[in-house]
Amino acid sequence: MSSNTPSSSAGGVGSADSAAPRRNSKRPKYSKFTQQELPACKPILTPRWVISAFMLVSIVFIPIGVVSLFASRDVVEIVDRYETACVPDNFRNDKVSFIQNETTNKICTRNLTVPKRMKQPIYVYYQLDNFYQNHRRYVKSRSDSQLKDNSSWDDVSSCKPEDNANGMPIVPCGLIAWSLFNDTYNFSLNNQQLAVNKRGISWKSDRDSKFGSDVFPRNFQNGLLIGGKRLDPNVSLSEQEDLIVWMRTAALPTFRKLYGKIERDLQPNEVIQVTLENNYNTYSFNGKKRLVLSTTSWLGGKNDFLGIAYLTVGGLCFFLALSFTIVYLVKPRRLGDPSYLSWNRNPGGH
Amino acid sequence: MLEIFFLALQRSTLVTRLVKQGTGRVTLGIGDGANDVGMIQEADIGVGISGVEGMQAVMASDFSVSQFRFLERLLVVHGHWCYKRIAQMVCYFFYKNIAFGLTLFYFEAFTGFSGQSVYDDLYMILFNVVLTSMPVISLGVFEQDVSSDVCLEFPTLYQQGPRNLFFDWYRILGWMGNGLYSSIVIFVLNVIIFYDQAFRAEGQTTDMAILGTIMFTCIICAVNFQISLIMSHYTWIQHFLIWLSVLTWFLFLFVYGMISPTYSKNVFQILTEALAPAPVYWTATLLVTIACTLPYLAHISLQRCFQPMDHHIIQEIKYLKKDEKDKVMWKREKTKAREKTKFGFTARVDAYIRSLRGRLHKKTHSLKSKDGNPS
Repeated sequence: MSSNTPSSSAGGVGSADSAAPRRNSKRPKYSKFTQQELPACKPILTPRWVISAFMLVSIVFIPIGVVSLFASRDVVEIVDRYETACVPDNFRNDKVSFIQNETTNKICTRNLTVPKRMKQPIYVYYQLDNFYQNHRRYVKSRSDSQLKDNSSWDDVSSCKPEDNANGMPIVPCGLIAWSLFNDTYNFSLNNQQLAVNKRGISWKSDRDSKFGSDVFPRNFQNGLLIGGKRLDPNVSLSEQEDLIVWMRTAALPTFRKLYGKIERDLQPNEVIQVTLENNYNTYSFNGKKRLVLSTTSWLGGKNDFLGIAYLTVGGLCFFLALSFTIVYLVKPRRLGDPSYLSWNRNPGGH
Repeated sequence: MLEIFFLALQRSTLVTRLVKQGTGRVTLGIGDGANDVGMIQEADIGVGISGVEGMQAVMASDFSVSQFRFLERLLVVHGHWCYKRIAQMVCYFFYKNIAFGLTLFYFEAFTGFSGQSVYDDLYMILFNVVLTSMPVISLGVFEQDVSSDVCLEFPTLYQQGPRNLFFDWYRILGWMGNGLYSSIVIFVLNVIIFYDQAFRAEGQTTDMAILGTIMFTCIICAVNFQISLIMSHYTWIQHFLIWLSVLTWFLFLFVYGMISPTYSKNVFQILTEALAPAPVYWTATLLVTIACTLPYLAHISLQRCFQPMDHHIIQEIKYLKKDEKDKVMWKREKTKAREKTKFGFTARVDAYIRSLRGRLHKKTHSLKSKDGNPS
């Protein structure tokens, strides 16, 4: 029986051959595609391929892991948690009333010691814990059209509950803008002010295309409840970089946002005095606040996990390659050995 | 086992029904004339033969062929291939949707269960339509474990279908487990790698759009790499479609990012500005892709070593060209893989003799190995 005999399904009559020599043949035109005889590569998982694959993965991954780990180790990070320490002792039992009271002194001084040499630029972040910027109602509460263009300044429908105050639309509206972080940090070293560059901390595409240069804050933080920072109504939104950084909602409840850059090297054992204003209310929801100073490497900030994960997977693959080598040496199965066919293994029945 | 009946008129319909209900087996009815329409419709699989007696049988059938002798090819080649293709396709579909969908649920635990999706809406719409559908469709259309002439030479391979070796609960749950494992790896690795620190040398930290895009990239790469491990028959089409799926994802991100932020919102220029220049994006994707597919690779290597299936052995014989080098062995295995079957009483007697022979063979087999002789 010739293997080229075509069989077709559901619609058996093929097209008539145009130049049929003998009788009227209804055989469909032969093509490799329709007869499923396209040239194909049929790789087989031989022991050689298995061991080579695992070895290749471990050879690629282990160096990447080492390099990543070294990059992360090079990063110097100073983290200082201050939300409890910056509340005076007499208010420790009622932090919420402390923070909500306009008359209390919110200025707090912290001292940070530099552990290792930090090369500029040194990035200053504020880190919040237990703050769900990724909550659906929070993420929805903004108006991108209003932020982009002055002509849509009153498009506040998606911003409820922070859409209008005293009957007038708020620019920028929404809960995200309303809850803008408002702690400030001033750094000094040996009584000399350390300048913090607050320009260029947001994404360029945000500054250029999402926050209009003709949009100015209006009626902002005018309601009964004040959620955060007040904005200068004379500065356009495309230059309000703190707002732009804050409006990029974080993915997780623990997040850092860029506050500024220090453009000077710091030597080990130098003590930096931080004069911070503890304005932001995280006490109502047991949130934590931290000030972070960090250098970066080509990989980013300090996180050993990428390097460790690469080393783990690479090491695991190496171990698997070794185990498979041992297995193939101890209990080899000859490739293509017909005694492994099922009718040879149990000839009694199928 | 195939038992073939040649009957006339309405009796064929009734007999088919009797066989179906009495034995509980899948029945196939084949016929060429209008009198066979009843039987064709009654049988689980109806095959109509087009030709001398007209097209009525063809129109009532599930499959139609032009000659009776094509039935062998229909069953042994196409039936065998179709079973495996469909089984693999369905298992893979479950796997990739579980791997994708569960990451959404894990993220909910971090959003206070508010229902916020970590992925942009268009990502999710395109996932099943464009980004992961083409390779699996090409698997369903082109996959062949052995070539058609081998299928005809070894009809026993067809038995993998009736014995349901490729769609049993072990396989289904195994693939679902693989999907569960992949989703956990994708989510956990990405969340820890991009936790709170900067992800670029310029100091920017990740936000929800960036984390979502990174996770989705990992899913696309892992799922498409996984299907390349499943396939055993690579035509240029499968190759092309797998690469095309991955490239389409990046192309889509690029193009979507070019559209005005009124429509693209958070995805605006995300690839060009934020992700592509960040080395950690590419290293994380590579890590997650390999970590997801490693267990599957180890599993199939072990299975191939210790419990090879018939088509594995035959693939190896063909690969090493042992069928040409050792023609005697090949011919012997071919004859063993087909057996003449008679129907009725003699068939049952035959089967009983065969099982006795098998038991005897096992006993002498075990006695031989006890003596220390190599089996």
